[in-house]
Amino acid sequence: MSDLSLGGRGTLVTPDLSAIPAEPAEDILYHHRVRMRQAAKNLWAHREIIYTLAERDFRAQYKQAALGAAWAVLSPVATLLIFVVVFSRVKAYPSGGIPYPLYAFVGILCWSYFSSCLGNGGTALLSNKALLAKTQFPRECFPLETMLTNALSSLISWIPLAILFVIYQRLPSWESIWVPYLIVVEVAFAAGLTLLISSIIIQMRDLQQVLPIIISLGIFLTPVIWPFSYIPNRYPLHLLHHTIHVNLQIVYGLFNPLGPIINSARLTVLHGQPPSFGPLIAATVGAALYLVVGFRVFKRLEVSFADIA
Amino acid sequence: MPTLPDGSIRADQVWKKFRADKTVPLFYEQMSRLRKSASTRGGPGYRWVLKDVSFDVEPGESLALIGVNGSGKTTLLKILSQVTYQSAGTCKVQGRIGALLSVTSGLHPDLTGRENVFLYGAVLGMSRETIRRRFDEIVEFAGLTDAIERQVKFFSMGMQMRLGFSIAAFLEPDVLLVDEVLSVGDANFQQKCLQRIGEIVRSGTTLIYVSHDLASVEAACDRTIWLSDAMIRAAGPTRDVVSLYRSSVEQSAVPVSLKEGVIEVLKAEIRAVDGGQVRSEAKTEVRMVLKAPEAVHACIYLGISQGTAFPMFIVDHECNVPAGEFEVRCELNYLPIPHGHYSLWTAITAYPRRHRDPYLPWQPAMNFDVMGPNLLEPPDGVMPFSPVFVGNNWEIE
Repeated sequence: MSDLSLGGRGTLVTPDLSAIPAEPAEDILYHHRVRMRQAAKNLWAHREIIYTLAERDFRAQYKQAALGAAWAVLSPVATLLIFVVVFSRVKAYPSGGIPYPLYAFVGILCWSYFSSCLGNGGTALLSNKALLAKTQFPRECFPLETMLTNALSSLISWIPLAILFVIYQRLPSWESIWVPYLIVVEVAFAAGLTLLISSIIIQMRDLQQVLPIIISLGIFLTPVIWPFSYIPNRYPLHLLHHTIHVNLQIVYGLFNPLGPIINSARLTVLHGQPPSFGPLIAATVGAALYLVVGFRVFKRLEVSFADIA
Repeated sequence: MPTLPDGSIRADQVWKKFRADKTVPLFYEQMSRLRKSASTRGGPGYRWVLKDVSFDVEPGESLALIGVNGSGKTTLLKILSQVTYQSAGTCKVQGRIGALLSVTSGLHPDLTGRENVFLYGAVLGMSRETIRRRFDEIVEFAGLTDAIERQVKFFSMGMQMRLGFSIAAFLEPDVLLVDEVLSVGDANFQQKCLQRIGEIVRSGTTLIYVSHDLASVEAACDRTIWLSDAMIRAAGPTRDVVSLYRSSVEQSAVPVSLKEGVIEVLKAEIRAVDGGQVRSEAKTEVRMVLKAPEAVHACIYLGISQGTAFPMFIVDHECNVPAGEFEVRCELNYLPIPHGHYSLWTAITAYPRRHRDPYLPWQPAMNFDVMGPNLLEPPDGVMPFSPVFVGNNWEIE
């Protein structure tokens, strides 16, 4: 149809419709090529949109509430009160001399950021349908935006954490300088899994119902209220008359980087010890893999997002 | 491959398919496709919404896409803006794209007008810095100076649309894609929007414009592509394509809208009173032969339209209709329409009007051509509400 490539400039063109085949030729079929470097660059160029969308969600959340943004602080403080009341009576697991509310709260803080990212970010493409079908900026902005909004509420939850430190008259140790690194690993892990899940949920809505169940199960599979040391670091494995000792903490960290992250957060902030490096390295490698795979799958599947949203 | 200058578009054999039944989850569909690869039952699981669409646009050109609903116009715009992707073919758009595919979908109801300007501006691709700089202009253009601190859910629909369009009006893209958004607001605001689009095009931006409003297409675009059934039916200068489109809509309208009435039209004709061809400004006579089953008191309507069921003008007459065949003659003192192809529409209702079916529902009785002057080109950004020709004499001293 190259006679039409001018699109009728100057003169009227009426193409022969019967000459158009029923299907396009095999060699012009469109294949969505993913160039990771370019995609990452493009995402960086659109970072303002992430801020703006996060601002939208944050502002809209507290509009028309009499106390406004104060709720951002009030609700985690309320959670904390429930927490202290319950866990100062119930002591379920050994916490190594650390007051249990403090011990558990550090775990909950890490977990709640991760789970809210999955929960909100996983359905971010669906809840932004209207924008998804009408705007052109990179699609990963939607799940990443919810991660930023959650990060903000998570940061605010540090206030009750500080209150806990005051209540139990403790100071975070100087080993806390590890915290920024732990945050980076957790964000990478959360981002990878959120991108992966959000791009699958949009194609398979059943997962939307299953996701909350998986998340509520996940809190027990992750050392949030129990200590990471429950996972053996020398597990005997019998293979062909040999016995190999496997460090299951490292294997676990590879699949669920959150375990070593929570453990390291407790070790550094509460116990004043260095993190256990083996599992933490495994967690770093795992998180990086999740991020790369998640981003890749997302970019691969995004070709159909606007059509099926 | 040489790089194109900013603002160019090259679409080469673009095809797009949609899944036929969107209610079936994609996952199951893919599973069942695997399973039934041996036994193919049912039709294909998809339909083509664009077939072999090729065109190119140079920087600064303005191109309109017209066609009936479902002909693929919006899908094509979405592919151009990379909201969605083509199934086959290549599509290149060089430069920054500003896509206004919907006026209000980017607005958040709980945020104030001011917050929404920043949100929607960013969503459309404006930097915060640009929005801050142009904020006052945007609000001024939308005419919302008083309401801007109010939550958008308390805006009227018209106000929301004005806000949405105004933000988009200050985008400075290389290619501007506009989908059916000028149906917003009152006539004044529409006029303002068209003017603004004209300014944007004159400043060198490429415009792709989708609309059902042919008058605004004629006002805004030099070139038009008519999409029909997923394919390009015609492409060329706006005037030619639009008139081709109009006459096709007309032809397809005649058989569809023929409804059964009590009174039948046996014959209809239109001629100039002096016997010549029907022409602009002439005294014209309409003659119809009709058949009624019984004598009634009725009101007869005649209207002339160009393509649509909405006439450019109507005339009516209240009279006693005899039983059996009868003839109606109506003399129009002055035919205020320019050169073109038109339809004569008619209807007969009970008089005084009662809530009952009309004796003859509103329908086209015949098509005819009018000789005469062409409708004048309006100034840029102005669209005539109805293409009526008014004879005129000028004197300039």
